[in-house]
Amino acid sequence: MVDTIDKEKNKETKDAQTICEVVNNREGYTLTSFFADMGALATFTLRFFKEAFRPPYEFNEFLRQCYLIGFKSLGLVGITGFIMGLVLTIQSRPTLAVFGAEAWLPAMVAISIVREIGPVITAVICAGKVGSSIGAELASMKVTEQIDAMEVSGINPFNYIVVTRVLACTFMIPLLTIFADAIGLLGGFAGVNIKGDTSFSLYFLQVFNSLDFIDLFPALIKSFFFGQAVGIIGCYKGYNCNQGTEGVGKAANSAVVMASLSIFVIDMIAVQITSFFM
Amino acid sequence: MKNDTGNKIKLGIFITAGSVLLLVAIYFIGARQHLFNRTIMITGIFKDASGLMVGNNVRFLGINVGTIDGISIMTDSTVRVDMQIEQDIQKFIKTDSKAIISSEGLMGNKAISLTPGDSGVVIKDGDSIATIKPADMDMIMAKLNTTADNASAITTDMAVITKNIRNGKGSVGKLFSDTVFADNLDKTLVNLKYATKGFGDNMEAAKHSVLLKGAFKRMKKEERQEKKEEKREMKEEKKEEKKEEKEKEEGK
Repeated sequence: MVDTIDKEKNKETKDAQTICEVVNNREGYTLTSFFADMGALATFTLRFFKEAFRPPYEFNEFLRQCYLIGFKSLGLVGITGFIMGLVLTIQSRPTLAVFGAEAWLPAMVAISIVREIGPVITAVICAGKVGSSIGAELASMKVTEQIDAMEVSGINPFNYIVVTRVLACTFMIPLLTIFADAIGLLGGFAGVNIKGDTSFSLYFLQVFNSLDFIDLFPALIKSFFFGQAVGIIGCYKGYNCNQGTEGVGKAANSAVVMASLSIFVIDMIAVQITSFFM
Repeated sequence: MKNDTGNKIKLGIFITAGSVLLLVAIYFIGARQHLFNRTIMITGIFKDASGLMVGNNVRFLGINVGTIDGISIMTDSTVRVDMQIEQDIQKFIKTDSKAIISSEGLMGNKAISLTPGDSGVVIKDGDSIATIKPADMDMIMAKLNTTADNASAITTDMAVITKNIRNGKGSVGKLFSDTVFADNLDKTLVNLKYATKGFGDNMEAAKHSVLLKGAFKRMKKEERQEKKEEKREMKEEKKEEKKEEKEKEEGK
């Protein structure tokens, strides 16, 4: 029984590998190779969900990945969030001043950060930082045959490498989004006070008066999907790399590109779904 | 291994801080929607919701005290609005308080304002409250319409009057257009001027005549006495005012 499952797995992996080879060997990126890529990605995602619920659960490795993906990105996400809040406030002020609506500045900044800028910027930053590192790490593991070695020594490489990283991304990016929102709002407070004079309590009150659950929760839910996309795509690109050292760079690069693109596609779908409930 | 525990602690702090931030945000947003306060429900029946939406604020004396919980059409001409109001505010809202649809600022959302009542009987949970029809734009436009109608009637009358004046009808018209009339008027005025001058001379002569001298002197005396009396009255009034001021200061 176990043998047949393993055989199936190997077959799936081999299928994905051959497709990836086809994709990588083509000169340029044709429509056929795009669909082949999508198909392989779908199979990979399906396999992730199958393996995620199958023991053994690599809890320690999951925590280590959470630390690397979540905590280690906090500085970068925090700085970006602060600057986005500050810049957004400064840039919006002249337009609002035309209508004499400068009092609406905190509300506007709060809604745009919580609804859109927080989740998307965090996800894109993580696609750059985490997605590329996962892609490169897994690709070099694959190239140096560490993954094969794991399989030989009886550890399920998919469970140990892919599931932990994807899950860590899925849970850490929403958490980072919360931090980015909070720090971005602080940046907004700084921006409001560059030209105006608003006390922190008034700013805080105006921010929370303008926010609603319909602003907060869809943003958080979509950031789970962003994290999932960053993790899955990074792992997929790395796990299916088969071109030596050259492939490592390619895997890292295409992981970032595809993850960033998919973040915006998910964002577009999310806004359509959210607008149903508004 | 030691490093690993350190990392786990950092991760723990990171996750805890993130969760606390999220909970704080949920709490503050929920508090604004009165999720965590005890609330009562009151309803108002309006003829027109005028753009009111679920989630808009309910205000009492200009303070947000609740939100609109539901809006539903009752009949073809009435709208039922359910308002969720903080229980702490309940004691201030009387049975004869009224609800009126207002707006928050020029471009802001709609809101319901509750006016204070003076019946002394506090409203109960689930009670219905009287409403005032707001001065909506359509009503204002209708009123403006009647004003414009009146104005047009007035201007029509004015047009007739000015036409008559131009055509020389009526006394004012004659004044403007009839040159003979104007000439006569001018002559009359000149005559009047001479006549008044002559009258003035006559009066001066009369003052010096023996027969009327006594009468003029009497008139002058009376005038002087009147002036003196006026001065006295003024002084008395001033004194009284000063007294009153002093009394006030002493009273303080």
